Amino acid sequence: MFRLSLKMTLARKGRLLLTSLAIILGTSFLSGTTIFSDTINSTFDRLFTDVFRDIDAYVRSTDSVDTGFGEQWAPSPIEALDTILGVKGVSAAVGDMQSYARVIGKDGEPLGEDQGPPTFGGIASESVAGLWNVDSGRLPVGSDEVMLDRATAEAGEFVVGDKVRVTALSGSREFTLVGVANYGDISSPGGATFALFDQPTASEFLLKPGFVDAFLVQGDGTLSDEELAKAIDAALPKSAKLETLTGAEITEETTSQIKTVLGFFTTFLTAFSFIALGIGCFVIYNVFSITAAQRQRESALLRAIGASRRQVTISLLVEALIVGLLGSIIGFVSGIGLSRLLSALLNAVGLEIPTTGLTIATNAITRIVLIGTIVTVLSAILPALRSGRVPPLAAMRDTVLDTVPKLGRRILVGLILIVLGAIGLLAALNGARVAILGLGVLGVFAGVLVLGPAFSKPVAMLLGKPVASLRGVTGSMSRQNAARNPKRTARTAAPVLIGVALVTAFTALAASVKNEIRGTIGASFRGDFALSVNSRGFGGIPTSVTDKIKVLPEVSRATGVGFIAAKVGDESPFILVFDPKTADGLYEFEMVEGAQTDLGDDEILVEADKAVEKNLVVGSSVQVTLIDGSSKQLKVAGTYKNAYGNYAVSRELFADSTSPLFDSFVYIRVASGADNDAAEKAISTVSSDLGIGTLESRDAYIDSQAAQVDQFLALIYGLLFLSVIIAIVGIIITLLLSVFERKREIGLLRAVGMTRSQVRMMVRWESVITSLFGAVTGVVLGVLTGMVIVISLNDSGFSAFTLPIANTITILIGAFIIGVVAAVFPAWRATRTEIISAIASA
Amino acid sequence: MNQNLDPKNAAARAESASKIYGSGENEVRALDNVTVSFERGKFSAIMGPSGSGKSTLMHILAGLDALTSGKVFIGDVDLSTLNDKEITKLRREKVGFVFQSFNLIPTLDAYENITLPLSLGKRDGDETWINQVIDTISLADRLEHRPSELSGGQQQRVAVARALATRPEIIFADEPTGNLDSKSGTDILTFMRLAVTELGQTIVMVTHDAVWASYADRIVFLSDGHVAGEMSNPSPEKVLEYLKHLGD
Repeated sequence: MFRLSLKMTLARKGRLLLTSLAIILGTSFLSGTTIFSDTINSTFDRLFTDVFRDIDAYVRSTDSVDTGFGEQWAPSPIEALDTILGVKGVSAAVGDMQSYARVIGKDGEPLGEDQGPPTFGGIASESVAGLWNVDSGRLPVGSDEVMLDRATAEAGEFVVGDKVRVTALSGSREFTLVGVANYGDISSPGGATFALFDQPTASEFLLKPGFVDAFLVQGDGTLSDEELAKAIDAALPKSAKLETLTGAEITEETTSQIKTVLGFFTTFLTAFSFIALGIGCFVIYNVFSITAAQRQRESALLRAIGASRRQVTISLLVEALIVGLLGSIIGFVSGIGLSRLLSALLNAVGLEIPTTGLTIATNAITRIVLIGTIVTVLSAILPALRSGRVPPLAAMRDTVLDTVPKLGRRILVGLILIVLGAIGLLAALNGARVAILGLGVLGVFAGVLVLGPAFSKPVAMLLGKPVASLRGVTGSMSRQNAARNPKRTARTAAPVLIGVALVTAFTALAASVKNEIRGTIGASFRGDFALSVNSRGFGGIPTSVTDKIKVLPEVSRATGVGFIAAKVGDESPFILVFDPKTADGLYEFEMVEGAQTDLGDDEILVEADKAVEKNLVVGSSVQVTLIDGSSKQLKVAGTYKNAYGNYAVSRELFADSTSPLFDSFVYIRVASGADNDAAEKAISTVSSDLGIGTLESRDAYIDSQAAQVDQFLALIYGLLFLSVIIAIVGIIITLLLSVFERKREIGLLRAVGMTRSQVRMMVRWESVITSLFGAVTGVVLGVLTGMVIVISLNDSGFSAFTLPIANTITILIGAFIIGVVAAVFPAWRATRTEIISAIASA
Repeated sequence: MNQNLDPKNAAARAESASKIYGSGENEVRALDNVTVSFERGKFSAIMGPSGSGKSTLMHILAGLDALTSGKVFIGDVDLSTLNDKEITKLRREKVGFVFQSFNLIPTLDAYENITLPLSLGKRDGDETWINQVIDTISLADRLEHRPSELSGGQQQRVAVARALATRPEIIFADEPTGNLDSKSGTDILTFMRLAVTELGQTIVMVTHDAVWASYADRIVFLSDGHVAGEMSNPSPEKVLEYLKHLGD
């Protein structure tokens, strides 16, 4: 039986190809992302192993705050360097820094991306313990010299001798470029930009005079790394709060930290590749169902000559196994190309992630081929069982192609799933866990997919109505063809349905978030202009800039708002930092209790829901620890609603801190009597000196803040694009099989006078109706899902939901285009139907 | 022999028509230099054993297939001068078809199937004529039924009605009774005979059954791709007698 299956599988090359296509697409994205992340990981492994090659020990503070994207350690006083150098066994040691610094290009625009790889400022040292190798020029010495990493120098077209403006914690300054360096042996680590100074300049400009982030130490070879670390630890006074790591430990830690950050990214990619594979499942299932129906006679003949049900079923499963194995292997190989494409794509949008060579882990091959094959075989189980149930007598009969599905049980199961899902959603609306929401959404999706065949016919007939009345008998046949096999229509449309539902739900979600952002900013920001940067938590506008703006004659007031990581109780959130002295009337919280005015450096404001969650009331006290390790009990002075962040503190709190505090926004009110344009001009001289930040009027600022959501949405769209391609391929395959199945019908139509262009039109409209069926159902499902998610995640209830009408229309037009595009090849095949052989196949 | 009928009187004719499939050793001469005419307003039958080329001849005459050499005319139109679009239009307007089976589009009802060639050409057709045709096949009460709801005989009657609906130059019927019981077969043949006698249509039918062939005014016999002979006003006995000696 196995050999027979193999022979039968290979005999039908066209069918083999079509089925494998779905599997190839499904697995290639998974393989692409796997190879991509394996390659990134091994690239960074090699990079840090190389960079830290000469580092035997690493000394840094014991105080840290987990920012959610890795730990941030407190600065260390430079005096410790002498202690370290004095330890027996140490041959060299230097300070190390990775602070925020933005290199401003010759055009006045900052280099690097706001939300891309980090932009660092650091120490350039000639010590062998330093991480940088001078490529050209020399190391910077003194307060007006800088060195850049080679990639940044090239990107900014800087050569040694040029003036380079750099903006950092203490403001914006111009330096002379004296050298260009490589990080290890590459031009830039991970697309980050680096501005390097001598240690005193770096400390003073980037952080605080006398402080560095950590120390790099090289031993003289007399001690092992572990012994060296112990010796340094022993020499450092307890009060210094410093700890020593071995070279291997810091390499491992840095690598894993980068991997954590990249991990978010690769998890994200993997999630979408599984969505693509899931959608691929539908296509595979559909193809097997159709081919099983088309070979009903073949199966019946096998039964008639003595094959058991089991044998017929197994023969189809064997075919699935062969196709799955073959498709997955090809999918894996094409994933290699896809991974290259992926990194090219990310490079193009500014997310330069270094990938040297190509890392293909053996377990990745096994895993992907295994997943692909299992998925294929699972998708084939139902059609295979159905084949086994074909009565032997069917061999003598004409194949029944248009099956009327038994709907009773299907409707029951579908409704049960939807009801269960709806219960989950209702629970979520009433404040149940997010996981319940997820299960509810899943239940409703599954229910709709099960119910699909029950309503695909009436909906397709309805959607086809205009086609039938506009396109005459040809349109009428398209409509009937789209509705004649409700199961097939539902299955073909399922990938479109899922894709569109996801896109619509995300779009609705984004539209609502945008509205909320507008509301929040509109309510809190009362000024005329805003100077803002996109980076939150790492760098931003030096706080000194606010003071420069404030003193402009055209400006009456200005206030800065920033964000910084801190420990609050048992959490490490980004907290909002504002200046209570200047914020009144410019940046206003929607206070529930208490007031923002006169917030002292021993007080804190808490978001109302958070306060309830943490049992905080006005007057309670909460422990806050800053990045530099300084810790304080703060008294809750009030609660607020609708602002970025769950905690807000006064700027005063950071007066003596080495925590690098930047502003993310500076809100400005124009002086009464001053002209708006003149004020804008005056402010922009300050901000263009700075080189970073965007100066916008109130309305433009609110718009652009809301528009940031679009970037995220664009990424989601991009990732769902592959699902769209799989959906298109699904329609193409189904149409091809349908055209093949209706060969005689098409031959007859051609014989009685249907022109080739009418045949094309007939197939095209059938495709459009099928695709629109999926899209319309998907939009309904997506809007409902989006609505439930928005309402359940937001306490302002239904009003928070915004229906994205324009986007919905775009999606429907997109579905129309998908239908037209998918029909091109099948329609062409249909016109090639040989009339005589089609009729003669009676 | 009636092969040199006045061209003006021919609804369809072939001149030195040859159709060769394959090449070299696999070459098959399905039609070998056939010249034949089918008279307007007559019921003609093409007979011959399997492989004699009778279906090929019909396909060629109907514009469903192209010749290797020679010429084919529908009325006075030389089919070799037409492109695919023009031939399709010609089939739609000037030719009617009845096949052995699978004659109807399953998604269209009986009436839509009958008027299909007209709808495809976006024409309304002659309503009185169509009603007359529908009356003749006595299926007026089943017009809204899908093919799957009709018996085999009823399906073939709808097919004949469709062939007649455009009032074509000529109707080709390929074993129209092949899948029917003798009662339904007789119905169809009677109806086709009626269409020629009463409605003045032209029908060419391919068959291998002497009884059905005897409904025709004239039979053309094919053998090995050649016209082997013909017979006017046939009876089943005469046809069977003729066929016995065809190989001689």
